[in-house]
Amino acid sequence: MKLIVKRKKNPENIFVNIFSLSVTMGIAFLIVIVLILFLSKDPAKTIRYFFIGPFLNRYYFGNMLNSAIPLIFTGLGIAIAFKASTFNLGGEGQVYSGALAATAVCLALPEANGFIGGSLAILAAIGVGAVLAGLSGLFKMKWGTDELISSFLISGAVVLIVNYFITGPMDDPANNLLTTREIAKQYRFMQIFPPSKLDISIFFAVLTAFLVFFFMFYTHWGYEMRMCGLNREFSRYGGIKVKFYLVLPMILSGSFQGLAGAVSVMGTYHMSVKGFSFGMGWNGIAVALIARNNPLAVIPAAIFFAYIEAGASAAMIHSDVTFEIAAIVESIIYFLITAQALKDFIRYRKRRTE
Amino acid sequence: MEGISKYFPENRVQANRNVNLVVKKNEIHAIVGENGAGKSTLMKILYGLERPDKGRIVLNGKQVSIHSPMDANRLGIGMVHQHFRLIREFTVAENVVLGIEPKKNGLFFNRDKSVRDVRSVIEKYGFNINSESRVADLTVGQMQQVEIVKMLYRKADLLILDEPTSVLTEQEINRLFDNIRELKNQGKTFIIITHKLDEVKEISDRVTVMRRGEVVAVKETENVDQKELAKLMVGKSVLFKLKKDPVSPGAVVLELKNVSLKLKRQERPLLDRIDLKVRAGEIVGVAGVGGNGLGELEDVVTGLFKVSEGEIFYKGENITGLPASKFREKELGYVPADRLNRGSCLDSTVRENMIITRHHDFLKAGVFNQKKISVFVNNLFKSYSITGDTSVPIGTLSGGNIQKVILARELATNAELIIFSEPTWGLDVASGEFVYENILKLRKNGIAVLLISSNLDEIMNLADRIVVMYRGRITGRFTNDKSISKALIGEYMMGVRNDFN
Repeated sequence: MKLIVKRKKNPENIFVNIFSLSVTMGIAFLIVIVLILFLSKDPAKTIRYFFIGPFLNRYYFGNMLNSAIPLIFTGLGIAIAFKASTFNLGGEGQVYSGALAATAVCLALPEANGFIGGSLAILAAIGVGAVLAGLSGLFKMKWGTDELISSFLISGAVVLIVNYFITGPMDDPANNLLTTREIAKQYRFMQIFPPSKLDISIFFAVLTAFLVFFFMFYTHWGYEMRMCGLNREFSRYGGIKVKFYLVLPMILSGSFQGLAGAVSVMGTYHMSVKGFSFGMGWNGIAVALIARNNPLAVIPAAIFFAYIEAGASAAMIHSDVTFEIAAIVESIIYFLITAQALKDFIRYRKRRTE
Repeated sequence: MEGISKYFPENRVQANRNVNLVVKKNEIHAIVGENGAGKSTLMKILYGLERPDKGRIVLNGKQVSIHSPMDANRLGIGMVHQHFRLIREFTVAENVVLGIEPKKNGLFFNRDKSVRDVRSVIEKYGFNINSESRVADLTVGQMQQVEIVKMLYRKADLLILDEPTSVLTEQEINRLFDNIRELKNQGKTFIIITHKLDEVKEISDRVTVMRRGEVVAVKETENVDQKELAKLMVGKSVLFKLKKDPVSPGAVVLELKNVSLKLKRQERPLLDRIDLKVRAGEIVGVAGVGGNGLGELEDVVTGLFKVSEGEIFYKGENITGLPASKFREKELGYVPADRLNRGSCLDSTVRENMIITRHHDFLKAGVFNQKKISVFVNNLFKSYSITGDTSVPIGTLSGGNIQKVILARELATNAELIIFSEPTWGLDVASGEFVYENILKLRKNGIAVLLISSNLDEIMNLADRIVVMYRGRITGRFTNDKSISKALIGEYMMGVRNDFN
């Protein structure tokens, strides 16, 4: 007896995804153009800066890529959690506290060797992020607390604590701004595209995306994690320690959030500024949704986000667009694109639970 | 109901074939049949949850079309599902009025009126619940009363009860039957789905017997005895052309000692002091009708559920209470009844599904050796005559093919014990025979097989020893030889006989 395994149409087809995403993007851009036509006195100039502003000179272009770096890390972190069907909504607090931890280590070791001290700073950031997110995973494992809620709440509290440190004990008395002192020169990443702020960590970010991809699809942890994410009952039946995979993805997810914080401090800001990382965590979720949780797709998704942001600020500087209008334009694009990605994500989850 | 037919193309099951069901006003009508006989589908059609392919429904002389439970409610038809549909945090009254709440000023929920109305329904029909208690605080029997009250509040005259006694204790059953009789006196009509024949005798006026999607008999309850019903339900033996070599069983591989399983807030244990031994090279068949503990037995012997009492031994080692992952390390094979959710991960590829139980074998420093996986998967494809692409999601395969993949995977372990649960449920004949051949091959190779199945033909054809379960208890143990008949086992399955009372 022979059985023929027939290939049916695969709903996860990547080309279908890219096509539908492009259509949404087109609609979003159309709405933006219409808005600008109404709101700007010189719409042609505004539209020009909005769309090609990021490519006009080295400074804009480099800064755009630079702001994609933390988004790649936060996007990867969220994608890992999503792949395992765990949810980390605490990105904001994890990035922010990771940044503070890295700053604190650098400031505590002003004389140390750049590589050793820098590594310690990065490890501290990863550790803080991992612990914060890992706690939510642990609560879920022990008591079934919804990690989506607990990570969000923990993050909310952590933001306030970090604010306290930046404006209180660690505040730089030499200036009137709400910042810590600057970290020593040896800890700052090498800039590779002056005059922009782009630094070498962009290579590190791309490499990390490839590593995460390898981890997810070629290692046994990745396999077990994905299986748990797709079907916990099946995984338990197959002998996988499913409870462990409530915690591990959260720990990994938090690590990447912390890393994003460290990279922002050591590459771009060279200090912690009150509220400087706000949005990175949330945008990481949007990046992961657009990338359909594929680690490699996180790279273009993060660059796309950075591009919109850079375009909006270029239009703001060079034309009559105010900050508020730029923000509205940005949010329309985010809203449409994440709504589209979210819709597919929900449909996908629903199909799974049926 | 006249000439009702229903075919499920997804699993290729003809659930109902030209079924006629006549229920007279003010009678208690029982529908009996084995699992998969089509009772539930028929009732779902009557209640608007499924649409028939053919046939019509006539109510009080008028043809009606029922598209949804709302339509059914409007026509005075109510259904109490086997699994209650209640909101635990709400009170009895809130649950009962949900969806058709009395309003205050056309806008606000009128709590007082709903409590009053529900209380009057409860009193009118002599139930024993407080309309203001929280459902979560009730016993299972009381929850069922809430479900019935819910239907009565919706002015149902015809009530469908789907296996109403399956979760109840003896006292709760008596109480339920009292309620039913009282309701009958007040003019209500009942359809009761069940496979407990003593209950049929006790409560019903007439009984319709279904088998494999068809009605095989309609009887006045007083003119028929339980043995005859049991015989009608199981039908004649279907003989397979299976060649069974004589095999002498070896050492005990799996042993259950006094195993019980009890859930919180549920009086009746799901498994009640089960003793069971499976030896190398023999097939032990556990027979029973669904809802009598077969599924629970499957869950505890595979470590997915913890037993409340008793011990489980595998090759002499006490494995009671070990986590599921440790069970797998003991290398036992397990082909589950729920093959679409437990047995496979529909969204991942055939390849990934095939390695779940032994993916550790393909690792080199934590990384998968893809070549080794390909060799393994291709070998299994060859030996189980499966052809095609291993990189498509397994959910795109047919049910028979999915079962083949599961079978291939589980038999590929070096297990000394393989547990099968409902291995041919929903499969076409050819795939079913393929499964049987493989089970017999295992037996020949000296492997212990535990076969849990509600398909009595399957058990009679394969098993060396047969254990029958009824209401979580073992009611009979037999050696499968010429001295036993299908009708006899059927009587044990339906609770007509019990050797261990």
